[in-house]
Order: sequence, then C-alpha cells, then structure tokens
Amino acid sequence: MAVRGYDENEEKKSYGSVFLLGTSLLVAVSLWSLWDDNITRRPWKKFQTEFYRLDYRKAKAAYDEEDKKLKADPGYQDLVKKLAAAEDSLTRGELAKKLKSLRAEEARATVRFGDLDQEVKFIKSELEEAWYEYDHAVQQGRNTKRYQETIQELEKEKAKVDPQLEAARQKREQLKEEIKNLDAGIKELENQLSKMAAERDKWIRVMENATVNLGLLSIYKIPKIRQIVLDEFDRNNFDEPTGRVDRCQTCHIAANRPGFENEPQPFRTHSRREVLLADSAHSPDKFGCTVCHEGQGAAVNSVRQAHGEVSYWEFPLLRGAKAQSSCASCHLDVQKLQDAPLLAQGQRIFEQIGCTGCHLVQGYENIPKIGPSLRRINAKADASWMVRWIANSHNYRPQTRMPNFSFKEDEATAIAAYLWSASKEEGDKWLEGHPAPAGFREGDKEMAAKGKNLAEAVGCKGCHGLAEGEASTVLGKEKEIIPNLKNIAAKVGPRWIYYWVKNPRDFSPDTRMPSLRLSDQEALAITTYLATLGSKSEAIAGIEEKLGDAKNAKRGEALVRKYGCFGCHDIPGMEKESRIGVELSTFGSKTLEELFFGNRADIRHTWDDWTYNKLKTPRIYATERIEQVMPQFNLAEEDIKALRILLASFRDKKVPSRYTADRSQRAVQVVEGRRLMHQYNCIGCHEIENRGGFIRKYYENPALAPPPLNGEGEKVQSHWLFGFLKEPIPLRPWLNVRMPTFNFSDQEANLLIGFFNGLSRVEIPYAYFDDRKVPKEHLDAARILVSKEYFNCFSCHKQGDKNPEGPQEGWAPDLNLARSRLNPNWIIKWLQDPQKVQPGTKMPSFFPGGPDNIMGGKDEKQIEALRDYIVMLGTKAPGADGGRTASR
Amino acid sequence: MKKAMLVFLVAALVTLPLSSLLAYEGGAVSDGGTISGVVKFKGAAPAPKKVEVTKDKEVCAKTAKNDPTLIVSGGNLVNAVVSITDIKKGKKMAPQKVTMDQNGCEYKPHVLAFIVGSSVDILNPDGILHNVHSYSKANSPFNMAQPKFKKTITVKIDKPEAISVKCDVHGWMSGWLFAAENPYFSVTDNSGSFKLTDVPPGTYTLEVWHETLGKVSQKVTVKAKQEAKVTFEMEKK
Ligand SMILES: [Cu+2]
Repeated sequence: MAVRGYDENEEKKSYGSVFLLGTSLLVAVSLWSLWDDNITRRPWKKFQTEFYRLDYRKAKAAYDEEDKKLKADPGYQDLVKKLAAAEDSLTRGELAKKLKSLRAEEARATVRFGDLDQEVKFIKSELEEAWYEYDHAVQQGRNTKRYQETIQELEKEKAKVDPQLEAARQKREQLKEEIKNLDAGIKELENQLSKMAAERDKWIRVMENATVNLGLLSIYKIPKIRQIVLDEFDRNNFDEPTGRVDRCQTCHIAANRPGFENEPQPFRTHSRREVLLADSAHSPDKFGCTVCHEGQGAAVNSVRQAHGEVSYWEFPLLRGAKAQSSCASCHLDVQKLQDAPLLAQGQRIFEQIGCTGCHLVQGYENIPKIGPSLRRINAKADASWMVRWIANSHNYRPQTRMPNFSFKEDEATAIAAYLWSASKEEGDKWLEGHPAPAGFREGDKEMAAKGKNLAEAVGCKGCHGLAEGEASTVLGKEKEIIPNLKNIAAKVGPRWIYYWVKNPRDFSPDTRMPSLRLSDQEALAITTYLATLGSKSEAIAGIEEKLGDAKNAKRGEALVRKYGCFGCHDIPGMEKESRIGVELSTFGSKTLEELFFGNRADIRHTWDDWTYNKLKTPRIYATERIEQVMPQFNLAEEDIKALRILLASFRDKKVPSRYTADRSQRAVQVVEGRRLMHQYNCIGCHEIENRGGFIRKYYENPALAPPPLNGEGEKVQSHWLFGFLKEPIPLRPWLNVRMPTFNFSDQEANLLIGFFNGLSRVEIPYAYFDDRKVPKEHLDAARILVSKEYFNCFSCHKQGDKNPEGPQEGWAPDLNLARSRLNPNWIIKWLQDPQKVQPGTKMPSFFPGGPDNIMGGKDEKQIEALRDYIVMLGTKAPGADGGRTASR
Repeated sequence: MKKAMLVFLVAALVTLPLSSLLAYEGGAVSDGGTISGVVKFKGAAPAPKKVEVTKDKEVCAKTAKNDPTLIVSGGNLVNAVVSITDIKKGKKMAPQKVTMDQNGCEYKPHVLAFIVGSSVDILNPDGILHNVHSYSKANSPFNMAQPKFKKTITVKIDKPEAISVKCDVHGWMSGWLFAAENPYFSVTDNSGSFKLTDVPPGTYTLEVWHETLGKVSQKVTVKAKQEAKVTFEMEKK
C-alpha cells in the first residue's frame, strides 16, 4: 500500500553527485576568493617582497665588502687578536682564578652589607617609635625619663653600627671596582673594534630590518600597506575637510633612502632626495607623495590605478618636470625654488608676455598693461609703419612680445585709423608744444658718433639692443621685453625721439622707461644717432586719407573691441573695458569635458595636448561656426613647456595653511617687489638674486659696470635706499653709466625695499647705531689703521670732497656716505671677507692678518674699530669729538 | 701588511681624479735632449708704450715703466711661455718656492712660470699699499691687501693655469702667474729665446702662450742628447 505523498523512486535516488558538485564549487570559490584577495588584487605584496630581497642583498654585499676591508686591515686584525687573548686569559689561567675569587668575595661583601643595612633600618624605626612615645609623654605631662633612656641606648647602638655599614659599603665598592678593572681592558678593546667596524655593522641593522626571525628560520619581512594620512588636506563636494590617504610608499619604499639611485622603479631613490625630502622640506612621512605627484594615493590594486591613469580619475600621476606645477599650491614665491625652474620660467613668461591683459587669474590681477600707451600714438609712430605693424608685428621685430593677430591689410588700416582718430586730440596738442628740436641735423656724422658713444656709455644697452643680435633681458628663449632699436628710424622720427629720450614721462606719464637726466645737447646727440638706425618706412599710397576716413575708424573701433587691444595698451575711451579672455584661475583643474577641441580629431584628448596645441597655434580649435581670437605669440617649444607647467598649477584646490610654505607678509613683498623689479627691468643692469646684470657683458673692466645688488637689503639702510630710489645720486662718480630716475611712487619704492629686505631676510629694517657708545680707543685705533702706514683706505676711497690720487676709475665709494647708507653690521661682514660678499670686487681682504701692534693684534677687534670709525666719519667732525669715552 | 698597503694604494688611486693620475710621472732622464729656439713676432714691432704713473709717484715713478703686455725685442717676443703640453714622463718634478716682487709698483718678473703646486712669495718692498687680485678660473680667485707692514704674502697655486694678477690700487700693475703641468716650460728672455732641457727622446706638442697674442703650437721631435731647434711665430689677431 502506498503512503500518500511517498514516492519510493524518489527515495531511492542518490543526490550524492549534486552535493559533491556543490561542495567542490564552494571549496573552489573559497580558494579563488582567497587567491584573489591575497594575490591577484595585492600586486604590491610582490613589489614589497621583491624590495626586501633587493634591500637584503645590497646590504649583504655592502657588509661583505666592508668585512673584506676589515679582514685586510692589520690594525683591526691586531685588535681582534688582542681581544681574544684578553678574553682567553679571563676564562683560563691566573686571571680567571683571581676573577672567580673576587666574585665570590663580592657576593659575600654584598650579603654583609645587606645584613648591616637591615640592622640600621631596624634601629632607625625603633628610634622613631621611642621618639613618638617621648613626645606623647611630654604632651601628657608624664615622666619622660624612661623614653630618654631608650633613645640614648638606641643612639649608642646606631653609632656603633653606622661605621660598620660604611666599611661594608666601601668593601663592596672596592671589590666591584677591582672586577671592573679586570674587565676594562676587554670593554675598551670591544669599543675600539665596534668603532672600526661601524661602517660594516650598520649593514647588519639594514639586513635585520628587511627580515623577520622566527627562531632559527629567517624570512623576508611580511608585506604590509604603508600609508600616510594627511588630516583635512582635501575637501569633499560639501566643502567639508577630508583626510587624504597616501599609500604610494607601499611600493615606492626606498624613495627616501639613499643607495637606490640606480635601481628600477618602484624602488628608486627620489632625485635630489637630500634637499627635496629633507625634514625641513617635504618629509614623505608628513606629506606623502601625492601632494606633489598626484595620482590615486589610496589605490593599491594595480599600478595604473595607483598612478591614477584610469578613466574618470582627474589627477593622473605627474612625472618628472610636471610635478613642478604642484609647487605653486603651497609656495607663494616660486621664483626662488631651485628645483622648479620650468615653473619659475613659465611664471616669468606669463607675467611679462601679456597673458594677464586678456585673462584674469587670481594672484595676477594687478599686473599693469604691458604695452605702450596709445594715448598720443599719432604724434609718435609713422603711419605706414603702424599699419604694417598691426598687420603682423613679427615682420618688423620677430622677437617682440606683441603677438600676431593675422589681420588683413584693410583690417590693420581700419585699426590704425581708429587709433589715429582716438589719439588725435591729445597727440596734436602735444605736438603743438613740442616743436622739432632746433639744431638737429639729419645724418650729422660727428653728432651721431657722439650719440652712439653716449648711448653706450650712459647705459641704454641695459635695456635696448642697438644692433642685430644685441639683447639685454630675454624673456623665455628669445622674446625681447624691451625693443631692439636697430631699425627704429622706420617707426619714429627725430622730433619724437628727442623729447622721448629727454624725458619719457613728458610724453607718456606711465611709461616704464626712466629718465637718464640727459642734457639738451646729449639728447640731441642720441637723437641724431638713433635716427641713423634703420631707414624710414616706405609710405603706403594714400595713407593719410585712409587713416582720416571715419568709416575706417568706425570699423577699427569694432576690431579693437573684438580683439581686446586695450588689454595691453592704454587706449583713449577704452579705459574701463574688461578682459576679453576666459578666466584661468582654475585652468589646471579643467576636465576634458570643459576643453573645446573643435573638430580636431588629430589631437589626443588630454589636458596636456589641448594646452600644448592652444599655445602653439592659438586658433587651432576654431570651427566654421566658432571663431577664436587669441593671437599667435610664436612661442618657442621650451617656452610652451614652461607655460604649460604654470597653467597646470592654476588649480581649484586650495591647500590648507598648515601644509603651505611661507606666505608671510615678507613673502608677499618679495613676490610683488620682484614683479615690479621685472617691470622696470632692474636686472638689465644689476645682478639680483644671482640673475641678470646683462649689461655687464659690454664691459671689459667689471668695475665700470653697474654694481650687482645681491644682498642689497642686508647692505644698505632702508631709509637711504628709499631716498636713492626716489632720487638717485651719483654714488660712484667714476662710472659713465647712470642710475636712471624712475620716478617711483612711494608705494613702488617701498615695495622694492621690501623686496630687497625680504631677500636678505632683514627682520628689522631700522636699527639704531648709538654714537655715544663708541669707545674712544676704537676711533684711536681705527685712525691708525686707515692711515697710509697701514691700510691706506683713502688711497682708493673718497672722503667727502677729498678725492684719492690717480684716475677716477680706480676710486672707491665715499666713506662719508657709509653712515647714512650702510648697515653697520654689514660693514663688519664686508671687512671680514669682501670677496665672499661680492665675488670679484676690487676691495681686497685686509683680514685675516691685521697688524700685531694694534688692539692686541686681534682681527675682530680691529674690524669692529674700523666699523665704528667708518660709521662716525659721516658725522660733521669725523672722529674728532665723536670719540667720547663711552660707558658700555 | 703588504697586501693591506696594496689595497690602500689601489683605493687611493681609484678615488683620486683621473686627470691627476694621467698627469705626469717624474724620474731620472739619462739621454735627454734639448729644445731651444726663439719666438718671433710677425709684423712691425710696436713702439714701447710708456706707462703713466698716476699714483704714489714718490715710490712708483722712481723707475720708468713700459707697457709690459707686448714687448718685442729685436723682432722676438719677450715674456711668452713655451711648454710641452703632452709629456707624460720625464725629469723629476717637485713644487718650488718662487718669488714675485712688486718693487717700484711693477711685477717682477712680469710673467712668473712655475710647477703647479708651488708656493709663490709675493713681496712688497715699496712701503705702500698694494693688493694682489687674481683673476683665476681653475684656481679659486683671491684679492688680498698687502699694506706696508706686510712684506710677504704667500699663495699656493694648485691647478695648472695662466693667472692674471692685478693691483687695484695701481691700475697699471699687471702680471701673470703661470702654473705649469710639468717641468718642461720656459719663459722667453729679453732676446725672445727659450730652452727646455732633459727632454726624453720622442715627439711632443710644443705650445707657446702669450698674454696678448694667445697660443700657437707645433710638433717637435727630440733625439737623445741632441738639440732640437724650434722657431715660433706669433702675430696680432
Ligand atoms: Cu700696487
């Protein structure tokens, strides 16, 4: 009978195979997941193991090398033998017996000392008790005699035991000392040996660090993730601070270890490690790697992921020079960073080639327009030259900063017509007041020769080239920030040149060109000379009418607005126009979706490629529908590279202040002051921050060139420098070259002083020198030292009206000026070693080696005395009554 | 012990710069020959230019001075240095102790040649301030004051170089320190002639250096115990 629901066949069926299949699948999946979790997705484990092996092998090799040296070193082997002998004699022979008995004796002495010590302690506590009873009895008015007796007895007992205890202590110490003396020889030998073997034995520690010891077994260290967390370094989409996890050193394990410079990545030592990864710079333990190199710091699953070279990760690894673009995230003053030359170069180009005329960038908002004012252009430039210049500036001067807008001739004519009409009123008025210079004779050879000499002597070449190939300050590879004048006659005429060289600010109040304080005759000579450079432009037929045509002018105005000429030039009526380009403050963070590639299919879609091609061919992404107006700058490849590094540094991420470098007021002053310094091209003549002084190449005798200004902040007093900048005085009358008058505003002069002080790290710009504290003996001694018999300082140095003998070029600065000009502390430094302060200076070192018979022959004393004397020279009666004996 | 010394020697040789290793090996020369000759000046000999003493006349103007930068005597060039530039082995070479005097505000000799590594005593018997300003490039430049009380300054020149020396106090004073790489050098005398002795037989490059006229060189072959005659000619470039 069949039970309901019971299927006999079903009961007889075996499910064994299904279970087996299920179980083996489960086992397989478990194994696979274990494998995947531990091996496939942990490539870093392999790297680390590989590294430990490498580390161990290198250390072993180094150890063997050192060991071989020691084995070959007879001194070391000698010590080894001595040590062995000494140890031997301590384990066997007479010494060994003595040591044994001493040790036994020491043990006994220790026991004896312990016993006595215990005894004394007991007596002491009994005494305490007796005293307590005594005090108690006194307070209760009982008889105290009993207690007094007990106390006396105990004191007596203690007095008896105390010396015994002391004797026992001494005995024990003495025995200890004797044993130590027996050992001392060995200790000393061991010390010497370990000192000699230090170079070898340090490798033992390295080997130990790469391995783990499991009893007798030694295996390579077990790999583990090495990570650094930068608290609150990043911000999430809700603008909340988040930490950054940086695990790069899991594989790049030797980045901060010397000795792996030639190993393949990921094991290589970081380049310039001692500087870049120093604790005072970017210790990897504090900053990790992604702060500079980007990538996906938390990823360890694959090299590509870790390097962030995968889709949708916005910060791919920055290799090599590209990492320089990260410097600007934390460093305000990038110009002083020795290890970011491309970034610094890019910044110089960016600031000086006019990018900021069209593009707004945070931190670069206040850079003045770089081109000349066109307010009176019709009174200055030749009309036909002007049209050609606008059409393609690079034809006239290939190195000019003015970019080429590729205007057609009719467009260029229209723009010129507009500029003519806009400047007509002011230009004509200026012309009225400035008639052609009387006495100018075109082509007067004698006068032109005079002008040429003068132009070269007063320092025109500090900024302007006057012939083919001559250049002073070069921007980037070959851009001129100041025009070469070899073909100036094509552009301007003698009437304008004359008034311009006499006083540039008369024509253009905001020009950067300074006044060289030329007399009328000098200006005339230079005008005659300049008018011979190049030839006049060939006139375009009917140019007058074309420029006078109102229709042309109207069209020109539209073009000027469209192309944003006012970004670089001051144009009447367009003072309020704003920049026509896009803001670039966060350009470096632009994603590919934000970059317009037009119809270019031949350009790889990366930020780098987009930017490179944009800088190389600015209108490359234009399409039939979308016009682009950025002009062609003709940048050299290396300049594009530098600019790309800078542009990549314009990021939207702001690094929290606790991670940033110096952003103090001083750093700001240095940055802004340097910018001003570049604007006025101080480095054309002067070497500053060990850069520049380009005019020096024209001087055979460096003493006749403008002085280098490295360390100027430390050298001169701020208030003196202020006065000098505002109104230069001839400090070195023997120089032909003139420090020009720049008409700096108070603000500009202060900015430059802040710049020099910041560079020299001058903390306190004003320091008081107390005349009354100058000891008389200093002045007396110095008076002898400066005399003809000794240092003969005035053989070269001027002193007020007293001039040295011989020709002017052999003279040295007026020491009467030192008081108001020089920092007293700098004078000390200068006297100690002039060559160190200013390599190549004519000033010889007088020290070390001052005379023995003055101030006890002590150099420092003599230097101090000379300093005091020099500072006092500038007072009305030099030295004479300044030398009151002082109370110090 | 010997082995250890060897190891040390090898280590020392490896760590020393290669140039010094290849420089020169000195020893005894038994069958050496001689190179002698003159350096001729091509072109019209310049008239001696008087140097105008503008300073410290009571001391410096005692003796008349001519511009020392180009002196031609009987058609031959004075104060040129003739040296062998490519000799690796020859007579013994040891640092010398040489002297340059500033007597009368003039460097004497005007060109002082010596073996590299030598000490140069610079004397100041004038009783006035001079300064010794070197314009060296290979050696580190110096500019030392030499006041009246400092009768002697000693400098050591460690690298081969022709060093211009000037006094900034007396603009006309100029001289040269010529530190030679090997002991085969000779400054042409007042008749423009020079002589190099104990030269091992062989073919060498002989170079003449002059402060104003630059350098000229030629090959010369020396035979054992014989004299090779050489004539140089230099001209204004
Ligand atoms: Cu002198």
